[in-house]
Amino acid sequence: MTTSSESARPKVVISGVDKSFDTRAGPLEVLTDVNLTVHEGEFVCLLGPSGCGKSTLLNIVGGFERPTSGTVTIEGEAVTAPDKRRVFVFQEYGIFPWASVWDNVALGLGGQPRDKVIETVQYYIDLVGLSGFEKTYPMELSGGMKQRVEVARALAVDPDVIYMDEPFGALDSLTRLQMRAELIKIWKQEQKTILFVTHDVDESVQLADRVVVFSERPGRIKEVVEVGLEHPRDLGSPEYGVAKNRLYELLGVLHTI
Amino acid sequence: MTWPWIAIALALVIWRASRGLGARAQSVLLPTAVGVLIIAVWRLLCLVQNEPIFPTPEETYGGIRELVVDNTLRDYVIASLFRVTWGFFLAALVGIPLGLVVGWSLRAYRALNPIIQGLRPISPIAWIPISILWFGVGDRAAIYLIFLAAFFPIVVGTMAAVRNISLVYVRSARNFGVEGVELFRRVVLPAAMPQIITSLRIALGVAWLVVVAAEMIAVDSGLGYLINDARNMGRRYDLVVAGMLAIGAIGILLDLLIRRLERFDEVRWGYAGR
Repeated sequence: MTTSSESARPKVVISGVDKSFDTRAGPLEVLTDVNLTVHEGEFVCLLGPSGCGKSTLLNIVGGFERPTSGTVTIEGEAVTAPDKRRVFVFQEYGIFPWASVWDNVALGLGGQPRDKVIETVQYYIDLVGLSGFEKTYPMELSGGMKQRVEVARALAVDPDVIYMDEPFGALDSLTRLQMRAELIKIWKQEQKTILFVTHDVDESVQLADRVVVFSERPGRIKEVVEVGLEHPRDLGSPEYGVAKNRLYELLGVLHTI
Repeated sequence: MTWPWIAIALALVIWRASRGLGARAQSVLLPTAVGVLIIAVWRLLCLVQNEPIFPTPEETYGGIRELVVDNTLRDYVIASLFRVTWGFFLAALVGIPLGLVVGWSLRAYRALNPIIQGLRPISPIAWIPISILWFGVGDRAAIYLIFLAAFFPIVVGTMAAVRNISLVYVRSARNFGVEGVELFRRVVLPAAMPQIITSLRIALGVAWLVVVAAEMIAVDSGLGYLINDARNMGRRYDLVVAGMLAIGAIGILLDLLIRRLERFDEVRWGYAGR
C-alpha cells in the first residue's frame, strides 16, 4: 500500500512544533519548526540519530508532552492529552509484569460487556501468535513475545493511530525481521495509521511508505523520502538499495566506512 | 569434657563432606555445622571462666526445658506475637495507604516528607515515657511502640516504591484510558507491591526487635519480660539465654513466613535476578 500522499485524507497534522527543555545549563532546544502531515492508513517512519528529538515528537503527538510552540491536530482536533484512540507501543516494555498476558491485552477494554472483551482479547492474542500463553506472566516470555503482547494490547482497543517508539530495538536481529513482517501483515489487515520511530535505516526502508529524516539536535525535518515499494519488499532489489543509499546520504554516513 | 571436641570434629567432617553437594543440601548442612561448632566453642569457653559469668549450653538447655514444661515459653511467645501482630498490622494499615498517597502526590510529598523524615530517626525507645503516659502500663503501650517501630519502614518503603514506578507503566495506563482509582488499583499498587513487601519484611523484623524492649517496661508477660524478669528475680541467666534463643528462632520463622509473599505471580517479577 504505497498511498500517494495526495489522495488519502490527512490524519495527523503537525505544524510549526518547537520544543525545548529547561535544563540546569539553560534551555535545551530539541525540536525546531517541525511540519508534517500523516495521511490516513499511512505508515510513516521518523528516522534520525539518537537524541534528535524524534521520540520527543512522538510523545508530543501522543499527548504526553506539550510543544513549546506549534500545534498537533488529529482529524482537526488539537491533541492535549493521551487518548485511547491513538495508542503507544513503547520502547521499553510497557506491558505490566504483574499481570498475565490476558490481563495485559484487556487493559484498555474496561467498560465493555464481558463477552465482547473475551472475544476481542482472544482474537488479538491469536492474531499475534500467543495462543496458549493467555495465563502466562511476562517474565516467562521472550523479548519478542513481550513485544507481541504489547502490539496485541494496542490493537485490542481498535485505535486509528499507533505510535511505535523503537519497539523492536531490544530484540535480536532475526526476531526483529520476523516482527517487522508480522507488523506489516497486521497493518495491512487492520488498516491503521502508524508513526514509527527508529534510528535503523534498514528498518525504515523495510516498513515505511514515507521516511521522515531528522537532523541532529535541535531536530528539524531534513527531508521526507517516499519509499515507493510494494509489500512484500525484495530486500535485494536495486530500488531498495537506492532508497537506502538516499537515507544514508541524508544522514551523512554514505561511503564513510 | 570430651563432647565439645567430638562436636568440633563432627562440624569439620560435615564441612568437608558438603563440598560438591547441591545448593539445597549445602544450605542445610553448612549452617548445621556452624551451629554445632558454636555450641562446642561456647561450652569450651565456659571451662575457662572462674566465676559463672555465662550459662553453659547444658544449663541453657535445662532452662529451655523448664520453660517448656511449665508452658511459660508457649504463653510468653503467644503474648509477644500478639503484640507484634497488632502493632505490625496497624502500622501496615496506616503506613501503606499513607505511603501510596505521599509517594504519588508531589504536593503531599513536599508537605509530609520532611516531617516523616524528622520523626523517623526518633527511636521507639524514646517514646516509652510518652506511651506509658498515654496508654498506661499494659498491652496498648507495648503495641503502640511496636506500631511506631514498624510504621516508618512501611511508610518510607511504600513512598519510595511509588516514586520509583517506571513512567512507562503510568503512561501506558493513561494512554489506555485507565485513570483515577482504577489507575491506583491496576497500576500504582501492583507496580509498587514488590517493594512494599520488602518494606513489610524489614518492618516485621524491626517490630520483633522492639517487642523485647517494650515488654521490659510496659507489661508482665512475653519474651522481653521473661529476660528482664529472669535477671531481676534470681540471676537466672540460663533463662535469659533461653529467652534470647527463642527470640532468634521466632524471628527466623516470621521472616520465612513473610517471604512467602514474594512468591506470588503478581510480585515475582520484582525480585528477578535475586
